Amino acid sequence: MDEVATKIIDILKKHMKEPRDDIGLATALTDLKIESLDLAMIVFDIEDTFGIEIPYNANEEAADFKTVGSVVDRVRSLIASSGAAAAKA
Amino acid sequence: MTEVGGGRRVVVTGMGVVTPIGHTVSEFWASCRRSQSGVGALGGFPLDDLKILIAAQVKDFDHKARLRHYKRDKIILHADRYSWFAAAAAHEAMQQAAIGAFADAYRAACIIGSGAGGLVTVEAAYRDLFIHNKRATHPLTLLRIIGSSAAAHVGIEYGVRGPTFATCSACSTAAHAIGIGRDYIRHGLVDVAIVGASESVINYGTMKAWQAMHVLSPEGCFPFAKKRNGTVLAEGAGVLVLESEAHAKARGAKVLAELCGFVMTSDSRDMVNPDIDGPSEAMRLALEDAKLPPTAIDYLNAHGTATTINDRNETNAIKRVFGKHAYAMSVSSTKSMHGHPLGAGGGIEAVACLKAMEESWVPPTIGLDEPDPECDLDYVPNVGRDRKVGYAMSNSFAFGGLNAVLVFGPPPA
Repeated sequence: MDEVATKIIDILKKHMKEPRDDIGLATALTDLKIESLDLAMIVFDIEDTFGIEIPYNANEEAADFKTVGSVVDRVRSLIASSGAAAAKA
Repeated sequence: MTEVGGGRRVVVTGMGVVTPIGHTVSEFWASCRRSQSGVGALGGFPLDDLKILIAAQVKDFDHKARLRHYKRDKIILHADRYSWFAAAAAHEAMQQAAIGAFADAYRAACIIGSGAGGLVTVEAAYRDLFIHNKRATHPLTLLRIIGSSAAAHVGIEYGVRGPTFATCSACSTAAHAIGIGRDYIRHGLVDVAIVGASESVINYGTMKAWQAMHVLSPEGCFPFAKKRNGTVLAEGAGVLVLESEAHAKARGAKVLAELCGFVMTSDSRDMVNPDIDGPSEAMRLALEDAKLPPTAIDYLNAHGTATTINDRNETNAIKRVFGKHAYAMSVSSTKSMHGHPLGAGGGIEAVACLKAMEESWVPPTIGLDEPDPECDLDYVPNVGRDRKVGYAMSNSFAFGGLNAVLVFGPPPA
């Protein structure tokens, strides 16, 4: 697992009531018992850690966030596009 | 259970506090018995250019340990400090009341006020946005700030499904919450109520705002003393559990006292200068509400903020209502010890009244070496003393001229 994935899993663990050590990229977020407020805090922490903004609305189904791997992929692509934006600027 | 006329008697079955001189009722009362002051050097954040450098802060409050019993409310540990204080005081009060679950959760109320809500969170969030150029505030910022968060947290934890909200009336916030809870029970809206207030606003911005009012003392809180030169900001919470007498009896609860009188008045005159009529009428009408003559009151816990204006005005108002008896009863300001916890004051002071009744001992006004000649009542100077307290009155008079007076009496026979 790369640094992005490791950091994201650490953030998830930090916000879990009962942190587990068996979280992998295939783990479904629904298995982590993350509630809506926890998700808002996780998104905040991820944004802060990677300096990105994740388009996310608590009123909508988060299709991008089904598994840990899907979160990692989304963050990677956001990092890449924010890097591209920074390069343009 | 409703009696004809809706005038049910209301009793107190639980009490809890968090104060600068004790994080529980027993610690708080032990400190009162030692005439201990909670005022000390201001700290916990950069003081920068502040000129007032003292406060009565709650130190070493271990919220994780104190709130470890919270189960239903999952985010209490992420809440603002003011909600922690309320949750801790409510837990203590509910433990004493020994209510496991409400017989009818829709007939339970949770009214816990706050003068300013999560002001410390507000400042931190604005510092992040405006100084540290953060992109966003913490996701819980909004919930932490809301002035009704403490009531909501406590209501969730204990499964209260009836009226749940906060009162907000500056230094009368707690007394208003307690009194409204009393009235809801008296008039049959609910059978039980968790009531009180919590405050935790000591930070740079609050100190600056109070400093600009020029009502804070740089030295200490010395109510009724000649040397008094202002109040001292404090923080904390005071919460009671109230029940109808019938509800308490039906479940075999131990009754601590009756909340027999409550009245609210407003000076309707000035934002800062108190009037003698508003406070006097509040005391007079509270006695009338309790169906008591002035001579029944043995102990009066004064608002006693140690500002020049309040202490003289309150003294004059007491004399107007109580006549000669004003000199026979004991009047003290426990703010001399726990400082001025703003909205939470009336809750903590209600507990002081209940303990005075329970232990037949009136708490002192400390720092009272030489009284102001215009303040000539028996303020129980410096050390508390034994005194049978049948009935006790608690005064709360807030900025804006918002007055609330509570009268406590012995458990109904």
